[in-house]
Amino acid sequence: MQPMPKTLKILNGVTAVLLLVALCLVFLYAPREAIMGDVQRVFYFHVSAGWVGGLAFLVTAVAGVIYLIRRQSRWDLLAVASVEIGIVFTFINIASGSIWARPAWNTWWTWDPRLVTATIMELLYVAYLMLRQGIDDPDRRARFGSVYGLAAFLSVPITFLSIRFFRTIHPVVIGSNDPSAQGAFDMTPRMLQAFLFSLLTFTFVYVTLVWHRVRLGRLAEQVEQRKMEMLTA
Amino acid sequence: MMLQEVTPDTFGYMLFGYGVILGTMALFVLSLVNRFRNLRKDLELLEEIKHSGAKTENS
Amino acid sequence: MAERAGAVLRAGSPSALSGYLKAVGAVIWKDLTSELRSRELLGSMLVFALLVILIFNFALELDIRTRQSVTSGVLWVTFAFAGTLGLNRSMAVERERGCLDGLLLAPVDRSALFFGKALGNLLFMLIVAAIILPVYSLLYNANLFLPALAGVIVLGSIGYATVGTLFSAMAVQARTRDILLPILLFPVVLPLLIAAVRATDSILLAIPLAEIRGWFNLLIVYDLLFIAVAIMTFDFVVEE
Repeated sequence: MQPMPKTLKILNGVTAVLLLVALCLVFLYAPREAIMGDVQRVFYFHVSAGWVGGLAFLVTAVAGVIYLIRRQSRWDLLAVASVEIGIVFTFINIASGSIWARPAWNTWWTWDPRLVTATIMELLYVAYLMLRQGIDDPDRRARFGSVYGLAAFLSVPITFLSIRFFRTIHPVVIGSNDPSAQGAFDMTPRMLQAFLFSLLTFTFVYVTLVWHRVRLGRLAEQVEQRKMEMLTA
Repeated sequence: MMLQEVTPDTFGYMLFGYGVILGTMALFVLSLVNRFRNLRKDLELLEEIKHSGAKTENS
Repeated sequence: MAERAGAVLRAGSPSALSGYLKAVGAVIWKDLTSELRSRELLGSMLVFALLVILIFNFALELDIRTRQSVTSGVLWVTFAFAGTLGLNRSMAVERERGCLDGLLLAPVDRSALFFGKALGNLLFMLIVAAIILPVYSLLYNANLFLPALAGVIVLGSIGYATVGTLFSAMAVQARTRDILLPILLFPVVLPLLIAAVRATDSILLAIPLAEIRGWFNLLIVYDLLFIAVAIMTFDFVVEE
């Protein structure tokens, strides 16, 4: 295993600092929202986690396609690494949203398009991992993962659209706002700054984690290789 | 919602929310560290077996 | 069987298109003749579908009022479950008898094999639907013989068979194959099922077609998108 590259070490530090600053902005800098109270602060990391989830699955789909064209295992390592992180952050997104919804909508769960789509997305990629788990041959595993990762990613927007045909109560904070949405609020400049900073921070968190996870995958590959060498020697 | 004049106290929910967010992230990082450690141990073990020349007995 | 189909493929005329169509036809023909001989696939799909309807009858107490609101859901859940059963079986047979390997040796575009398998699966789904619909109408005294409904069923089945064939070709090569297919398939076909159920619902409530065109568009977009995905990726799924 190669020692940790210098860039990654720096990235670790930068990400940690960014995360601390983001927390300060969220808790101390951003004002308390008048109608919902403190729980509105969940919004900053909730949306950021959702962004990381979507980004991670996009990276998986793209890395899968590149793998199918180039057949280099590192693209497959990136695809799995990204799925794992996507699953973790989509879970954070759903769980934190649910906690916010309890006081804001007076329920932990509603059948809103975004909630359902996020949950379906989570299930899609759990299925992706299960598919990979059932296949021993690494080349085939990578090929099937790439195909499923692409199909799954393409189905997400259609799922969202199809559920969207039902009325939604989820607030649209950015862009046009449906007056029937509950728990909507207008962002003050300070809120917007905290929000954008959280997005940036989470993007850094994603890159850092993916990098570490790819290195983990490479290490696992090496261990596998050594084992095979021992058995055939 | 319009009729509410005092801001409701939702501090507990906020703590709970950030607990889950940061807790899940910490758990994932821990799992990464753990998996790294296990793999390194495996690798060391494999090296050891290789050098002690005991591969015939072990395979 | 595989040898024969392979021979047909190899003997294809120099004209690319007719050779391609012949290959597609050969795969469908192979599935149909083996099904005619054994009758295990359609038979089990049909019995299974009827059992699902029977279970729904008691689970939901399909009296006249609830029936109106759940008919479309019951029908599509039945099709989806029977469909998975058929998809699993159809690919498992290829694997057991090594038919696919024989076909893969043929000098023909792999997507022809895909279309052959997918059309075969589509045909089986439509046959099941063609038998289930009159039975359901008879049992519950509801008129399901509507051309628009037939359109929804065809569009829904096309998407289901396309994605299902692609995924079942992957699932049969995994260790947990029988349970894996529905897990892979259901989250991806969810939008298709939603659109199909809502369209069916609207048709049964006699809502004018112009108002449900959105659902039809969604079905068509889904079908086209996943046919394209399947053509592009099927090569990688059957590659050795």
